[in-house]
Amino acid sequence: MDATSPDKIIVEGFQHFFETADGPVQATGLIDLKIPAAEFVTLVGPSGCGKTTLLKAIAGFITPTRGRIVCDGKTVTGPGRDRGVVFQELAILPWRTVRRNIGHGLEIAGVPKAERERTVARLVALTGLKGFEDRYPHELSGGMRQRVAVARTWAADPDIILMDEPFAAVDAMTRLTLQEELASLTFSTRKTVFFITHSVDEAVFLADRVLVMSKRPGRIKASIEVPRRKAGGRDWESFTTDPEMQAICEQVLRLVRDERMDGAARPGETPDPLKEAS
Amino acid sequence: MTMTAVSAPAAAGAPPRRPSPLASGLLGAGKFLAPFAAVVALWWAIKAGFDLPDRILVSPYQVLVTFWNLLSRGVLADYAATSLYQIGVAVVVSAVVGIPLGFAIGSNAYVARALGLFLRFFQGVSGISWLPLAIIWFGFTDTTVQVIVVYTLVVPVIFNTMLGVRAIPPSYALALRSLGAGTFRVVKDVYLPGALPSIVVGLRLGMGYGWRALIAAEMLIRQGGLGDLIFGARTFGQIDRIICGMIAIGVLYVVVDRLIVQPIENLTVARWGVLRK
Ligand SMILES: Nc1ncnc2c1ncn2[C@@H]1O[C@H](COP(=O)(O)OP(=O)(O)OP(=O)(O)O)[C@@H](O)[C@H]1O
Ligand SMILES: [Mg+2]
Repeated sequence: MDATSPDKIIVEGFQHFFETADGPVQATGLIDLKIPAAEFVTLVGPSGCGKTTLLKAIAGFITPTRGRIVCDGKTVTGPGRDRGVVFQELAILPWRTVRRNIGHGLEIAGVPKAERERTVARLVALTGLKGFEDRYPHELSGGMRQRVAVARTWAADPDIILMDEPFAAVDAMTRLTLQEELASLTFSTRKTVFFITHSVDEAVFLADRVLVMSKRPGRIKASIEVPRRKAGGRDWESFTTDPEMQAICEQVLRLVRDERMDGAARPGETPDPLKEAS
Repeated sequence: MTMTAVSAPAAAGAPPRRPSPLASGLLGAGKFLAPFAAVVALWWAIKAGFDLPDRILVSPYQVLVTFWNLLSRGVLADYAATSLYQIGVAVVVSAVVGIPLGFAIGSNAYVARALGLFLRFFQGVSGISWLPLAIIWFGFTDTTVQVIVVYTLVVPVIFNTMLGVRAIPPSYALALRSLGAGTFRVVKDVYLPGALPSIVVGLRLGMGYGWRALIAAEMLIRQGGLGDLIFGARTFGQIDRIICGMIAIGVLYVVVDRLIVQPIENLTVARWGVLRK
């Protein structure tokens, strides 16, 4: 890690345009962001505001039109194994079994088979995929495929985990388990996480900090601190009964809803990043 | 595949009784052979009904006799071997040349777009239309036949390999790079398996086109092969020989396609599953 900065990820003057047949399309507004090491940051915002675009820039899949991304003190120029990605479209390989998809990162890293199998077995159990190890992705449900994608990134054990709505298609029960596991695992292993979601509850439950984006082209319009996770992570039972947490949920919800409703009535207006609903 | 009729009504709870494997095998074969039998019957009826002389049409029986004759004297095997050798060499050459070329073109969006029209153009200029030029350059030789067949085969191989590579979601390669993969890994684990079903389709199509082009080229070049056999037989009005050659052409194609190519295709499709969700 860079000795001069405690920040694991720095987004500096970032702005992105996609080239299309009808000329450039602005995907995000101006974004500046710092994520310290071991922080869990969640990002919410209306559809099309540029959340995935920001994640892709951090992952190194796209070169920013303006500004730069710095990870561990180095400017990002492409993807790397220090930044694991769970894609919105999953991107698990259809010609590999569940086992071989999950173990893929370890295989690339040259981890011996026996050790690889142990890690895979642990993650298969954790994600509730037991009995499906030798199935191909097309034989799984959408939610199961999503769990394979999460397990694959998890198995490779990257410092930074970038996740794009990873639990959107997972059933409610499994989602609760995965969220609790994610919260405690990333806390105990001190992972830096950047997590996109449409669920306000999920965003607050997982986060040390929730970022709210304005509508397209999105900027970060609010950053809400959530009290630090405790050693054991969080659990849903205490979360739903904790008035402080519920107040934060309401605050975030108001910010998001604001963006969706009257945001549309005022096109072109730049939202005030300091606007707080509380 | 085979619809086997269950004769005895199955007792409640018990699995329906299946006919013996031999019986169902015969039934299955019968289903596929029936149309051929119908054509032979029609042929026979025409021959007998119009009382056609042998110089116009011979009887199926006559063809059977000649077929046995050609087979037992090794004539058919000789001509067939030449054709099979030619197509075999063409398949190998096309795979070795066409697959890497298809990859090179497909892995670059700009090149793929630039060459799309070009490849379509040459798809339209059939192998046989190269024959006059090839004869001028290489004479009435095996080389000319080989050039025509390789050309016919390699175009669909290049084209389908390119399509296969283009159809792989870019996120697959990105996901692998995020797992720490280098270029070699990405090619081996993403592009090769991802394009494989399409490559197999290209080879299968190419073989179909190539086989037809081969017979046509052999008819004109006259350096052996089944095309040579049937065209030579025409000179002496040997209708039985012509039909025997035609049967061999069809049988060999079906055998190669059904016994070698299709199983490979089924294997890749079955294992790869529904690639594009
Ligand atoms: N490859 C592309 N070419 C052109 N425009 C693009 C491209 N990718 C995204 N966009 C545009 O950029 C904007 C931001 O897209 P992005 O995928 O980042 O949105 P998002 O916030 O992730 O939305 P969602 O919540 O629906 O996933 C959208 O308006 C989209 O239409
Ligand atoms: Mg998105």
